Amino acid sequence: MTTVVSVTALTRSFGQRRGITDVTFDVTGGEVFGFLGPNGAGKSTTIRLLLGLYRPTSGQMRIFDLDPTLGPVAVHRRVGYLPGELVLYPRLTGRQHLDRFASARRLTDHRYRDELVERFNAELDRPVRDLSKGNRQKIGLVLAFMHRPDLLVLDEPTAGLDPLLQDEFCQLVRETAATGRTVFLSSHDLDEVQRLVDRLAIIKDGRIVVTDTVDGLRAAAPRTIEFRFAAPVAPSAFDGLDGVRVVRGEGPSVVVSVTGPLGPLLSRAAALNPTELTARPADLEELFLSYYRTGQGDSYEQ
Amino acid sequence: MNSDVLRIDLRLRRRGTCWYTTGIAIYTLVIVALYPSFKNDTSLDQLTAHDSTVAALFGANGPLTTPTGWLNANLYANFLPLILLLVTTGYGAASLAGQDEDGTLGLIATLPVSRPTIVAQKALALVILAVPLSVVTLACAFAGRGFQLTISTSDLLAITAGTLLLGVDFGAIAMLIGALTASRSAAVGITAAIAATSYLIATLAPVVPWLHPARYGSLFYYAVANDQLAHGLTLLSAAVLVATGLAATLGAARAFERLDIH
Repeated sequence: MTTVVSVTALTRSFGQRRGITDVTFDVTGGEVFGFLGPNGAGKSTTIRLLLGLYRPTSGQMRIFDLDPTLGPVAVHRRVGYLPGELVLYPRLTGRQHLDRFASARRLTDHRYRDELVERFNAELDRPVRDLSKGNRQKIGLVLAFMHRPDLLVLDEPTAGLDPLLQDEFCQLVRETAATGRTVFLSSHDLDEVQRLVDRLAIIKDGRIVVTDTVDGLRAAAPRTIEFRFAAPVAPSAFDGLDGVRVVRGEGPSVVVSVTGPLGPLLSRAAALNPTELTARPADLEELFLSYYRTGQGDSYEQ
Repeated sequence: MNSDVLRIDLRLRRRGTCWYTTGIAIYTLVIVALYPSFKNDTSLDQLTAHDSTVAALFGANGPLTTPTGWLNANLYANFLPLILLLVTTGYGAASLAGQDEDGTLGLIATLPVSRPTIVAQKALALVILAVPLSVVTLACAFAGRGFQLTISTSDLLAITAGTLLLGVDFGAIAMLIGALTASRSAAVGITAAIAATSYLIATLAPVVPWLHPARYGSLFYYAVANDQLAHGLTLLSAAVLVATGLAATLGAARAFERLDIH
């Protein structure tokens, strides 16, 4: 697969204000790449650098093998962008926005644009200042997708959309990726991320803390297992097992969190005469939140 | 050249331009229509008879009862430049810094349009926004011929060009400062300070000897304060005004290349 976005040791500092530091990741063609992080982590700064809106302090980035700082026009021709805080011209209608931006992109075939308008039920004939946030977001989505760009950079794309339209958006992203186009998706919505993305990076305090596939993260996510034994068991009975941490131990009930192999744990438990076992699936949300909270130590890539 | 950025900005400013143009038209017609009532009022001329500083402050430095003196003191030396500067400085400050603060510049800057092209289109919009005011004022001044206010066509055209270029220059300066500072208020404030200083130098230079050489540093001197209504716009003055506008626009393009867009 071709690399569509390549970012190496990208750094942008803003004097006293923290920017991003040594951000490195690649996005391959046809994938949906998630970019996650808490507010102020550096997501929008990274996106603005990728689009040539900011200049980097150091590091390298290539979009379609082009430098967006030196040749932004060629990059913008192939990119559709939805900003995180979409601001449209309040006095213009949605239709005026679409017409003017289509003209600037020299888009003459409006069929796909019209299809998107119908699909999202976008209101086009009222001035933008009279529209709700959700209706403005629909226009933003049409502006981003209407020219069938090779790369979509979407910053919080479903903000303000109702659940039905969020589903419609997810369907559109899947269709887009299925045609070989690439989607770079920044989102707070973990459910949306789990449903859509192939790989993701988590950024915290301006640094990438993990880059992995969703399946890889799920495999690394702790599973919670609760044992109930015939007689009270001391939590220390599970000491010394790799990847096993006792979460709670009260009388005959012991709850453990497991990130390693299950065999040694089950062998140890079997010797203690268990009467009941309950296992909960990997909690991806908890894993994401733990990255947000702590950064999980050093960054790594898989 | 793709003109969509230009068309968006003109569309957004259409209503304001109409109101400014209507206002200046009404004002000019009133001034023109009042002339017959004052053309024999010799007391007015006493204001400027002895190089009055007060009269100079209002841009009047000759007899006020002549057609040129009347129009100069009431329109071309002060009021028209003021209105033009409101329009052009307002747009110049909003076009880059203001739209960046509003958040709309990011939409434009991610279109396949280069930053120098964006600045070129905004500079063109600046000129186009100033034209209706200048042209309507010119038409109303021509209407003065029906009120004994007769000024040669060439001189009226010259001062129209001078005021138009003056407005465009300060608009381009506001655009430049906006691109340098990313602040609309800084762009408006600094440009207003430059314009006010420039105006004071040009108007007071004839009555304050030590200011006399400084008039060459004032754009008002080249545009309206050197008897352009009586003697036309010299080639040198036109060249200075055009060169200033071009230099400010090129500077804005250069600064905009380095601006962080939000």
